Amino acid sequence: MAAPGQDAKFFQRGKIEEFRAELHAAETKDKKFLKRKTVLKKIVANITMGNDMSPLFTDVVQCLGTPLLEIKKMVYLFLVSYGRSKPDQIHLVIPNFLQDCNDHNPLIRALAIRTMSYIPIPIVTDALNENLRHCLKDRDPYVRKTAAICVAKLYAADPRRAEKGGFVEMLRDLMLDSNATVVANAVAALSEIGDRQDGVIFKLNLATANKLLAALGESSEWGQIYILDSLLRYVPERHGDAEVMAERIIVQLQHANSAVVLTTIKALLYLMNYMENRRLIDYICKKMGPPLVTLLSSGPEVQYVALRNILLIIQRRPAVLKNDVKVFFCKYNDPIYVKLAKLEIMYRLARSENANEVLAELQEYASEVDIDFVRKAVRSVGRLAIKVEDAADACIQALLNLIETKVSYVVQEAIIVIKDIFRRYPGKYEGVIPTLCENIDALDEPEAKAAMVWILGQFSNKIDNADELLDDLLYTFLEESVEVQLALLTAAVKLFIYKSKSDKTKELVFKVLKWATEDVDNPDLRDRGFMYWRLLAINPTVAGEIVLAEKPAITTDSDRMDRGALDQLLLHTGTLGSIYHKNPETFIRNATGKSLKDSPALNAHSRAVLVPVARTQLPSGSVAVAGPGPIESHGDAAPAPPLPDAAPSPVSPSKPTPPIPPEAAAGETGEGDDDDDEPKGRPNNDPYSNLDGAFGNYTTDEPRPMGAGGRQGDDLEDLLF
Amino acid sequence: MAIDGLIILDNTGRPIIQSGFRSTSAAYPMLHVDAFNNALPKSHRSGDIDPVIYVPPYNVADSPSACCHVECADMRILCPVSGDVDPLFAFAFLQTFIDILREYFGALSAATLKDNFDVVYQLLEETLDAGGHPLTTSPNALRDIVLPPSLLSKLLSVAGANLNSTINSGSGGGPFSSPIPWRKAGLRYNSNEIYFDMVEDLTAIVNKHGTTLSCSVWGKIETNAKLSGTPDCLLTFTNPHVITDCAFHPCIRLQRWKRDSSMSFVPPDGHFTLAEYRYTPTATATSARFISTGPPSAALAAKENIPIPFLLKPTVELTDSGGTFEFKLTSRMPSQTMEALVAEMYLGEGAGGVKCVASRGDGGGNLGRRAHDTMSTGGSATGSWTFDAKKMAVRWELPVVPPSSVWLLRGSFTSPSSGPRPAHALQVRFTVPSYTFSSLKIDQLKVTGETYKPYKGVRGKTSGNVEWRW
Repeated sequence: MAAPGQDAKFFQRGKIEEFRAELHAAETKDKKFLKRKTVLKKIVANITMGNDMSPLFTDVVQCLGTPLLEIKKMVYLFLVSYGRSKPDQIHLVIPNFLQDCNDHNPLIRALAIRTMSYIPIPIVTDALNENLRHCLKDRDPYVRKTAAICVAKLYAADPRRAEKGGFVEMLRDLMLDSNATVVANAVAALSEIGDRQDGVIFKLNLATANKLLAALGESSEWGQIYILDSLLRYVPERHGDAEVMAERIIVQLQHANSAVVLTTIKALLYLMNYMENRRLIDYICKKMGPPLVTLLSSGPEVQYVALRNILLIIQRRPAVLKNDVKVFFCKYNDPIYVKLAKLEIMYRLARSENANEVLAELQEYASEVDIDFVRKAVRSVGRLAIKVEDAADACIQALLNLIETKVSYVVQEAIIVIKDIFRRYPGKYEGVIPTLCENIDALDEPEAKAAMVWILGQFSNKIDNADELLDDLLYTFLEESVEVQLALLTAAVKLFIYKSKSDKTKELVFKVLKWATEDVDNPDLRDRGFMYWRLLAINPTVAGEIVLAEKPAITTDSDRMDRGALDQLLLHTGTLGSIYHKNPETFIRNATGKSLKDSPALNAHSRAVLVPVARTQLPSGSVAVAGPGPIESHGDAAPAPPLPDAAPSPVSPSKPTPPIPPEAAAGETGEGDDDDDEPKGRPNNDPYSNLDGAFGNYTTDEPRPMGAGGRQGDDLEDLLF
Repeated sequence: MAIDGLIILDNTGRPIIQSGFRSTSAAYPMLHVDAFNNALPKSHRSGDIDPVIYVPPYNVADSPSACCHVECADMRILCPVSGDVDPLFAFAFLQTFIDILREYFGALSAATLKDNFDVVYQLLEETLDAGGHPLTTSPNALRDIVLPPSLLSKLLSVAGANLNSTINSGSGGGPFSSPIPWRKAGLRYNSNEIYFDMVEDLTAIVNKHGTTLSCSVWGKIETNAKLSGTPDCLLTFTNPHVITDCAFHPCIRLQRWKRDSSMSFVPPDGHFTLAEYRYTPTATATSARFISTGPPSAALAAKENIPIPFLLKPTVELTDSGGTFEFKLTSRMPSQTMEALVAEMYLGEGAGGVKCVASRGDGGGNLGRRAHDTMSTGGSATGSWTFDAKKMAVRWELPVVPPSSVWLLRGSFTSPSSGPRPAHALQVRFTVPSYTFSSLKIDQLKVTGETYKPYKGVRGKTSGNVEWRW
């Protein structure tokens, strides 16, 4: 019996032959088709479990004639699972398909074309072609909206044929449909087509964009997402257009669906590039903050996505959450990925006004249980000192307190950041060196050890027993990692230059140089050894000038993202790209890049950093499309227009691009060094190639020499509006 | 902007039900199941697994993808995405789908879904097309296409199969005949009722000096509407200024809210969340509402924060082999009783030997107990404690906390040789029935468009989750 609610028993491995026999038995004396329903349920359950039910193809499709919707649905389910793999038998079903396409019940009409569109076999596609055309004009909106999506499927199977069939134009007309759901689905289908590298370009003009906005109110939440997302395909020609549009969509920030909210923010951020009215821009920035904070009251998954996006947004529009650093304080029970994302935002939002609050929090986190989180918290204390000068004293004190705890990994992290603080504020905090030296024995990680050795060498003129300390560390020279060996070598040379009179330092430096040049295999180390040796041998004074040369002060500002790149990345707000902080075309095959388009309305600041996409690369005359339709061009004759970021020649779908190394993985695990190993032969015009995940993970966020980053003079000013 | 499909896993990591994945290779869903199952044991707590897992391609010709997932009862629901998709889109859809399943089956479990897998399949088919575009997700419209496994459909399966299809195709113009997407057409009730539950949730962090670091109250107006026809409701508040940052159900006319802060809507049928909001107190209103027993710094903080309804004094002393602790909790509620208060503290890996004494602090509870005799029964006179050996946490439970009462928990624990590393914070959860922090008041509900006068009900309910550091 097929009583509902007791179907767990169907989840048993069944034999093909048994099912076949049961199906045949069900052909007779099957009152109300109960037997057939039961067998079909068993078969569907088996499909779920991953058992191959395809041998039953002919038997199952025979049930298609049963006048019961539930059975029809199950047979169609079977067909979409195995139809593709049965090109020689699929013709059996075509008559049923055709019949169902003309059924009086709209659900069945829709079901039929939907199922057909999942089976990319020529004979099915042929049958679909004509019926789909009818269904796109069906009187029932349910059929029309289903048909719209089917067009995208048809297009995926054979783009040129779908274009020749006029389906793209029909979709364009559906954007003016009276039913909001149909409109939204037409937009979704066009977007899907437009996102293909071989697809026609989908752009909106002002009239259509306004029509879509009119449908926004009646659309389902998903429809709203499609429509809002499609606004990025509209390039405002006048400031006023962008401003009016932003005012129309800003109410959507109050939607209950988090994806609607984030898509609205994406559209607003985009439109702001084309605005002039500073007061409106400020107003929008103010309005964007609360909904972003609201997202943080959702589940941890939504929080995570929101946090990664906030990190991007506040770099471009620092006004957005300027006074809300408290919202990002970590709770003990937050999942670790939420904590790490919050930590980064807290650091970004730290200013001299709130530095004390932030520092107090960071100190709190340093006593947490999760080691990874503690390390990052300690490191953040140091970065805070480097970023906010007013807070440097308090940060140093905090770090010294942390060293007091004697917890090994805390001490090591503290020493690593204190080294950077020394470089940021030369001559200010060297008084703490004795405390650091007390902890030399606790260091067992290369990075911490190298930092300590650097401090010893750099300030060996101020440390009385520097030679002894260094000598102790040299005992294990040959077993150390290269990082530490290099540091030891340089430190020994510095010590010698400071204290060249002492016999002990002479002996020490000789020992190290000899090891480095004779007993070590690493060529870098050997070369550096030879270089120092010759320098010292030829002219020790010059050697001193070189080795102890003035070092550029460091800053953490350079880790901020390049503005043009940021603008471009913000076009992907909310998407995977914003999670990984990478442009999607770098990790998704066949993805088209998005870029800001120049227009008379583009504001000067955005244009100054525009990642160049020449408008002329689009087919000429593309703007002059008659009627309300948004389709700018048809690639029926010419191949897809060259995309600015594509490989040298447009890639045809049959010849896949070389697989892109999974750079995204590094960004996600958050620990890999984000060295973009760009595939060879790929032209390096990716605007992010120089970013190295500028803030995708923590280690790349370390302080760098001032001026080393791509910071333009007027950039800073603009960022603060 | 589309997801690839949906996979529901049971607690052993095996798929129960999955959507079609028609446009991908057969191995694709398995790849995601494996990626998830591999990632799970790597995280310390099950909640710590990255919500968006990177899934490397199986073939070099494929492109990598990502696996979004959420936990739901004893199951995990995975949502593979490829292409530059908005993961929030995936999470929003997952949440919607879970809500739909709840609507259909009540409490969810792997067993329930297995028992009703054909309905789940139909739901999947109707809510998500093979291209990953969400289709119909409004429960009101779905019920027209997929019959819930209720008594009705049981009756139908007995009474005659063909009824099923006639109901689907016939009755009142068929599915999607309603001009309002979230509301069924032609609803009839004998008694017309609408209930509003204002549910508020406080989350806060208090530092070791008793100062509130961050504090926010999020509220929801959960509504249950059983109204005939197409009622047009207008909900007005006496003090709408206490709420901000609202997020609304699509039925609410946003322009109207913008104009005069009243909610005008044609409600969906049944349960739905009308609005979500944040309570933003004005300085004078709140400080007067609580007895200020806290240190001056707490009173100062009250100006910008919502005061925490209790005061906690944790004293923890750590030694090399363990530690002792004393928690003193004082209710600051003027007249309401807090219920189901649970305080938890993680004692560190390998902690054990926990011994505690729970007591009532205000004069042995004599006076207090007489006054609240009806409420406090059994153990609640002193509170109770347990040690959760799995979570390594000591748990202090106070079922009923009358206003101004004082409670104590004293105890000690031992730690392994590496020394104690407890959490430096207590997590305190509680509820307050019939109370809202915002005291948002409904002024009136006007129903137009229909002739009847509905029965209206309003309730408040508050819960809290406070992290108190020491």
